[in-house]
Amino acid sequence: MRKYFFLLSLFGILLLQGSCDGLFEDIYNTPAATVSDGYGFVETNTTTKSGTIYIDVTSYQSWTYISLKNKTIDTSNIVLGEAEPHVWDFAMHRYDVKTNGGAACETSYSSLDEVRNGGIPAGAVFVHDTLSQVVIDMSHMMEGYLGYDTTEVNPVLSRWLDVDLSSMPPLYTLSQKPYIMRLCDGSYAALFFSNFMNEASVKGYVTIKYIYPL
Amino acid sequence: MKGNFTVKILLLLFAFYANAFSQRTISGTITDIATDETLVGVTVHVAEMPTKGTVTDKDGVYRLNLPQGKNFTIEVSFVGYEPQSRTVLANEKGQVDFVLKQKASILDMVVVTGTRTPKLLKDVPIVTRVITHNDIAMQDATDIRDVLQTEMPGVEFTYSMGQQVVNIQGFGGNSILFLVDGERLAGESVFGNIDYSRLSMDNVERVEIVKGAVSSLYGSDAVGGVINIITRNTNDKWNLNLNSHMASHNEQRHGGTLGFKAGGLSSITNVQYASTDAIKFGNDGDFGSLAAHHSWNLKEKLTYSLADKLKLTAKAGYFFREREAQQLSHERYRDFSGGFTGEYTFDTNNNLTVAYNFDQYDKSDYALTNCYDVRDYSNVQHSVRTLFNRTLVSDNILTIGGDYMRDYLMTYQFADNSAKHQHTADVFAQLDWSPTKKLNLIGGLRYDYYSDAAMHNVSPKIGIMYRLKNSSLRASYAKGFRAPKLKEMYMNFDMASIFMIYGNPDLKPEKSHNFTLAAEYTKKSYNLTLMGFYNRVSDRITTAWDRAVDGQVYVNMSPLQIAGIDASASARWDFGVGVRLSYVYTYEHIAKGEPELSSTRPHTATIRVEYGHKWRKYGFNIALNGRVMSAVTCDEYTSMTSYTETVKATYPGYMIWKLSVAQKIGRAITLNTAIDNLFNYVPEYYYSNSPTTTGTTFSVGLSVDMDKLF
Repeated sequence: MRKYFFLLSLFGILLLQGSCDGLFEDIYNTPAATVSDGYGFVETNTTTKSGTIYIDVTSYQSWTYISLKNKTIDTSNIVLGEAEPHVWDFAMHRYDVKTNGGAACETSYSSLDEVRNGGIPAGAVFVHDTLSQVVIDMSHMMEGYLGYDTTEVNPVLSRWLDVDLSSMPPLYTLSQKPYIMRLCDGSYAALFFSNFMNEASVKGYVTIKYIYPL
Repeated sequence: MKGNFTVKILLLLFAFYANAFSQRTISGTITDIATDETLVGVTVHVAEMPTKGTVTDKDGVYRLNLPQGKNFTIEVSFVGYEPQSRTVLANEKGQVDFVLKQKASILDMVVVTGTRTPKLLKDVPIVTRVITHNDIAMQDATDIRDVLQTEMPGVEFTYSMGQQVVNIQGFGGNSILFLVDGERLAGESVFGNIDYSRLSMDNVERVEIVKGAVSSLYGSDAVGGVINIITRNTNDKWNLNLNSHMASHNEQRHGGTLGFKAGGLSSITNVQYASTDAIKFGNDGDFGSLAAHHSWNLKEKLTYSLADKLKLTAKAGYFFREREAQQLSHERYRDFSGGFTGEYTFDTNNNLTVAYNFDQYDKSDYALTNCYDVRDYSNVQHSVRTLFNRTLVSDNILTIGGDYMRDYLMTYQFADNSAKHQHTADVFAQLDWSPTKKLNLIGGLRYDYYSDAAMHNVSPKIGIMYRLKNSSLRASYAKGFRAPKLKEMYMNFDMASIFMIYGNPDLKPEKSHNFTLAAEYTKKSYNLTLMGFYNRVSDRITTAWDRAVDGQVYVNMSPLQIAGIDASASARWDFGVGVRLSYVYTYEHIAKGEPELSSTRPHTATIRVEYGHKWRKYGFNIALNGRVMSAVTCDEYTSMTSYTETVKATYPGYMIWKLSVAQKIGRAITLNTAIDNLFNYVPEYYYSNSPTTTGTTFSVGLSVDMDKLF
């Protein structure tokens, strides 16, 4: 009988050992509030001419401009009428993508390595940016309207992420296809959008792997 | 010579008397015909010897010593079962087993939820609906949704934000209190609903449902009713059940329950795994798909009984569910629970229960890219409760109790994922008084205190039951309340950059006044129940658009009223046919201009027709279950930020039928097969209150009692 009481007591002590605010906190990850590698060109490899870009696109009011040539990132606020930078190759507003006078095609490859080995697909059709509208103000959605800005957007590059609003919460699906972008100077870059969340699974943080020049 | 003669006479007389007064032993095992389980405490009498009798022991075995040379009739009786008798012949001895059959009526079943004391269902002054273990087994049910929707009209489980939500006759999940063995559950999946997938039906003895306000016994949240899930105990030396269930959409459930009893110690360990593939709905709708998910549910219950005076129970549980919500991230839900209960019986009239319970419900996001599992929600509840029952003269029962709970909540819906906590305490008393055999009165009062809102609440209850020969009349009034949740007081949540949702520390508790009038008629296996109810719910807590902050704010809204009629009729005949019809009419009224408007379906019904037969080594039960939900036409606001303009909207009604066959093969094997949504109902448009069906589906389940296999 003592054995049973001992087992019960042991069980009780194990439970009561837990803090008032819960048990097993250690089984979870606690990513740092700030990104360890920061934002921007977080990886670059001059040998393979490739790298990784990590940007914050949480704001509906900003474009984030990326220059592959200069390895620079700039932002400008649409609502405040801030000017775009002098040099940039492509830009992102939330999950919309535009080019600086360039064009893009979607490949059937599944990785940048395949692009590197296969090159630009024969017969690839490059699509230029078209005039479109991007949402810059969500705050009136409940009142039945949104704030838009009319701008050029590349319809092919913007296919990198499908946001299905037919279910709540929306379903986010990556195309997982590399894209080839022809820049206005005639050079080519390969882009692979691999994630749209940060380490804590918060949406609006985009990871882009690239090869430039291709 | 004379001496030899005397010795012979004495030997002859001795032999005669020895034969006349020698004893023979009759013994046997008494089992349940449906479950093959042994029955403990069955009364065994000898008709010809009124003082001769015994009861079955912990193994369901009885033993009687009877004189030789005469026929006797052994009578066997047990609460809830049909009595049996059998004649044992003059020289018969050895084993005489009995197999008892449960009475078709479940009114002799012991229930606890309505009064917090064990009482026969027919004697409970508060209307209580019971779903038995057999009902659950017949349905091959996975979780509480399967059981409630099939057994009760007026119950609708739908999905919101990918999570199950419930509506029971106008009351949402935050106004219905779900309990497991009388203990409340931490955490919410969405909109105040608990995670219903935690409530697996494996190893459940019965589900007790009390509709209407029950706050006088259970405190906050018992505004619209209480659903109490009672888990099983074991009386066998050991038992092991293994079961599997497979259905369309690759729905799978595999589980096992291991039980043993050694002396005063018994244990039940239950493990269940369940999974389903993603479901895509063919037609357009408010939702287009349901994500794939899998879950694990582990439970352990240890019980130690000491000389019928002291009973100690220790419980522990672990629940894990992973919902494949997104391509790159999954949602994870975990629950850790444990606790102790000590029940001490001072004497036949006085009983004390002291319990400590711990429950922690966590939510986290699991990123497939870096395998990070980041928690963003944790609700931790520590509760201590005491309950003292004293039986006074004439079986009147005085119940006194008190509880304490510490409630901790950390959530992404608070600013900076911060945390809040509060303490709650209550005391309550109840008198269950029977002035005559026909009349039963019950009165109760409870005082609750909530530290964070410095809120007090008093919940009274009064009930009366009058019994006639085959019928009973019940009437009751009870007040219910729901204290504002920490989330509702302190939320500060950015809803996808669209709007903010703010909590309101000045919220008042939601209160309800519930009136119920019920009549029940039972004769043999026929039962007819008619109940009318009226609820007036004031200060209901909801969110409303606030132009001042351009966002939603938690507020108390003006009263709503819910009234209705609940009718059911059931019959079962000896040739194996059973029928049950249940119908609910619900009228819900909310004044225009309030942030919520009525959308409850007015007419709902459930129908069951079944036929079963059992031979010695084989039995079957074929059942047709139907759920009929009427269309509902309601007003809806044209704007989400203003409560002035409305339009009429109609949501279509539907019927879903399920045909199931349960086969019992030998003592150990049960095979269930079912066709759900028999007539292939598919919504033309999936509204938020449409059933999540893609049409006809099939399922097969196998349950094996390993201990009975050999």
